Amino acid sequence: MGDPIIQNIIELFHYLFFIFSGSAIASYLVLAFISVIETVEYKRKNSYVNYKEIMSSDSAPSISIIAPAYTESLNIVENVRSLLSNHYVNYDVIIINDGSKDDSLEKLIEVYNLVQVDYLINEQIPTQPLRNGIYKSTNPAFEKLIIVDKENGGKADALNMGLNISNSEYVACIDVDCLLLEDSLQIMIKPFLETTDRKVIAAGGVIRIANSCVVKGGKLHDVNFPKKLIEQGQILEYIRAFLLGRMAWSRLNGLLVISGAFGLFDKKIAIKVGGYDRNTVGEDMELVVRMRAYMEEQNKIYKVAYIPDPLCWTEAPDNYKIFISQRNRWTRGTIETLRKHRKIGFNPKYRVLGLVSYPYWFFFERMAPVIEFVGILYFGILIAFNQVRWDYAFALIILAYLFTVFFSLIALITEELTYHQYKKKGTGIRLLQIAFLEPFVNHPFILYAARRGNFDYYFNKKKKWGEMTRKGMTKA
Amino acid sequence: MNTYRFLIDYFNDSPTIIQATWIVIGLFSILILGLILYLKYLRGHLRKKESITVAYEQEYEAALITYLYAGNDEEEISSEQQAIIDLLKNGAKEPFKRKILIAVLLKLKNEISGEVAESIQNLYYQTELVDYALSRLSHKKWYVIAKGIRELKQFQIKEAYNPVIIHLNHPRPEVRKEMQLYMVNLFYFEGLTFLDLLETPLSEWDQIQLLEILQKLENQNISNITSWLQSSNDSVIIFALKLAKIYNQLEAKNEIIQLLHHINKKVRLEAIDVLSYLNVLEAKEILKTDLQKRSQEEQIAVFKMIENLYENDDESFIMKYIHDDLFEIKIIALKILKRINREKFCSLKSESSDDSFLRIVNFIENN
Repeated sequence: MGDPIIQNIIELFHYLFFIFSGSAIASYLVLAFISVIETVEYKRKNSYVNYKEIMSSDSAPSISIIAPAYTESLNIVENVRSLLSNHYVNYDVIIINDGSKDDSLEKLIEVYNLVQVDYLINEQIPTQPLRNGIYKSTNPAFEKLIIVDKENGGKADALNMGLNISNSEYVACIDVDCLLLEDSLQIMIKPFLETTDRKVIAAGGVIRIANSCVVKGGKLHDVNFPKKLIEQGQILEYIRAFLLGRMAWSRLNGLLVISGAFGLFDKKIAIKVGGYDRNTVGEDMELVVRMRAYMEEQNKIYKVAYIPDPLCWTEAPDNYKIFISQRNRWTRGTIETLRKHRKIGFNPKYRVLGLVSYPYWFFFERMAPVIEFVGILYFGILIAFNQVRWDYAFALIILAYLFTVFFSLIALITEELTYHQYKKKGTGIRLLQIAFLEPFVNHPFILYAARRGNFDYYFNKKKKWGEMTRKGMTKA
Repeated sequence: MNTYRFLIDYFNDSPTIIQATWIVIGLFSILILGLILYLKYLRGHLRKKESITVAYEQEYEAALITYLYAGNDEEEISSEQQAIIDLLKNGAKEPFKRKILIAVLLKLKNEISGEVAESIQNLYYQTELVDYALSRLSHKKWYVIAKGIRELKQFQIKEAYNPVIIHLNHPRPEVRKEMQLYMVNLFYFEGLTFLDLLETPLSEWDQIQLLEILQKLENQNISNITSWLQSSNDSVIIFALKLAKIYNQLEAKNEIIQLLHHINKKVRLEAIDVLSYLNVLEAKEILKTDLQKRSQEEQIAVFKMIENLYENDDESFIMKYIHDDLFEIKIIALKILKRINREKFCSLKSESSDDSFLRIVNFIENN
């Protein structure tokens, strides 16, 4: 390696890695700072809001909860019961049985006294056809429930069917196994109704991990901190992402993702842009980007709102196989969306979306695992050729590790100061423990999944969703 | 000692970038240590605060119940009651205890009624809590003002009208909202006079909350809404239209008809909806003449109105829309045709070969 040209190239690489790491750290710090400001503002604004007044009002706008279900027989009855127990008045629940191969439909028919009904669908978005048809309950207690049984077409296709069926102004698209708090809809609808200077096109909520939590009668009864490190790591990761990341993007009006597990959308705009894209595994992010691009192209002033309250609880993977499969899908979804909407990137016509959000996602979400992986490979090569400057390597690795721990601790303190969900004695030490361990217990698998995701995106196009086996939440 | 010397020498001999990295590492280490200690303190503090809050709540609840039952006929305030007032007054000096005391008072106030509720109200004055709330109204921080107004509303302090109304056009919507809720909660329809002077938008959220409060009132005379229907503030017009609908304000019909040509689409849509609800046939005729010039949303709203107010004479007009591109209009047009002229409606099945159209016709025929 004595050639000066090669030496210069290697040096250039070093600087590029260094600049990338420095800007990633700087961007995280800036985002964390903005998040804290936004969180304080949000808490001040909403600490004394009376949500009861809005939920009982006939004037409150209509909302449809759309929940696709594929082979969810194990928990479907309980999940539907949970969705029906929301306190909001003007809402209905549309369950799309997306060609399930199990007895989900039969169970629902039996428990909820369903009968087939004649229903005129406004097919504004093309979907797979109905299979057995549409069902409603003969029991007035379940009058809000609509079950649609259709041919399998995937999650996006099922959500599109829900958009076609819904007669409401707003649609809450959720995962059927998610547990929504009873006042979640009135909290989520607030930004749509209170914003007067711009159009709110969508609102995303925080997703919390329900593993080890106790559920009673379809409601969250007791919040527990799980024992498995993989689950604990995800809790920390979610707190970091939702409280320190998305909160800042909300402030900057640059939010690109609303989790598919729970998001509220202006139905008219969601339909106008063509609904969910059936050809991507990242349909949740893709829809938000498309809606935003549409508003920018129409020169309309708009906002994608974000609600930090813990309103939606879901089961997270509790083993590495499913965890990797999930993260693989997330990686492919991000690549697909950014690639599909590449005209937005660095395009001043799209303002914050084109000049801030897209570049950030491109460099620090899409490229970060690639650069990290290349960095590790390169480090391995340097070790093999005995070219490592160990004093440099040692110092920089410690710095990177300490920054990760520092950032996690900031996230934990924000959580304690705002929502303080993990109250039980003894949990504090476990939260601290996972802040130190998470870079070793979860991050390597995330990196591996991202590498697989990249590989599958380019060389294994047939790969779609992958499996997610549900165990069901702990019942009291 | 040697290790220390070695480390110092290593640091001094290192390149600047490595020296900087070690300095940042040192800085992060101190910060992390500080954060760990803070997190530990914070969790302990939150737990302690929770238990202290519960203890104070219990103490204040017991004191308040004693206060309520310690009165006698001879004195306005018994010595026992005075002692409790002094205790609470003293406690109210600390913001933390004051917050708990207010919460306990409100809880009790909401649970009881009649003379006992009045006693709680008096206690709010006697403990001088009202002064703290009033002093908040002139605070420079918006959220302090908003909380002050909210508290005055909850304790129904009508005397605060003047210092509250000055926040009518406060730059923060949260303060304006609390001001509006105060006015309507305490002065009912009369409180709505703030609409005359409102320059900022009244959000849909605010409107729903105000309507909810008004609808809970019994035997109240609604104010004259005409001036609000002519307001320069579009959100006030929309709110007035909602009032017109809820309280069947047919006497404001002419003003509402004028709004069919308002520059703001939202106002026009709301006006169509209200006129449909009030069964104003004249409006239908006006809208039929300029339907094509209106937006899609308005066209759908007009058809919903016609569905409500159709007459046999509307058949020729309706026939023009049974193949409309807009699904909603097509459906309503066919539904109306079925009601006006069933024979003609049935003949559509033989006249058309379009499957999707026939599906709709069949659905409407059967439902």
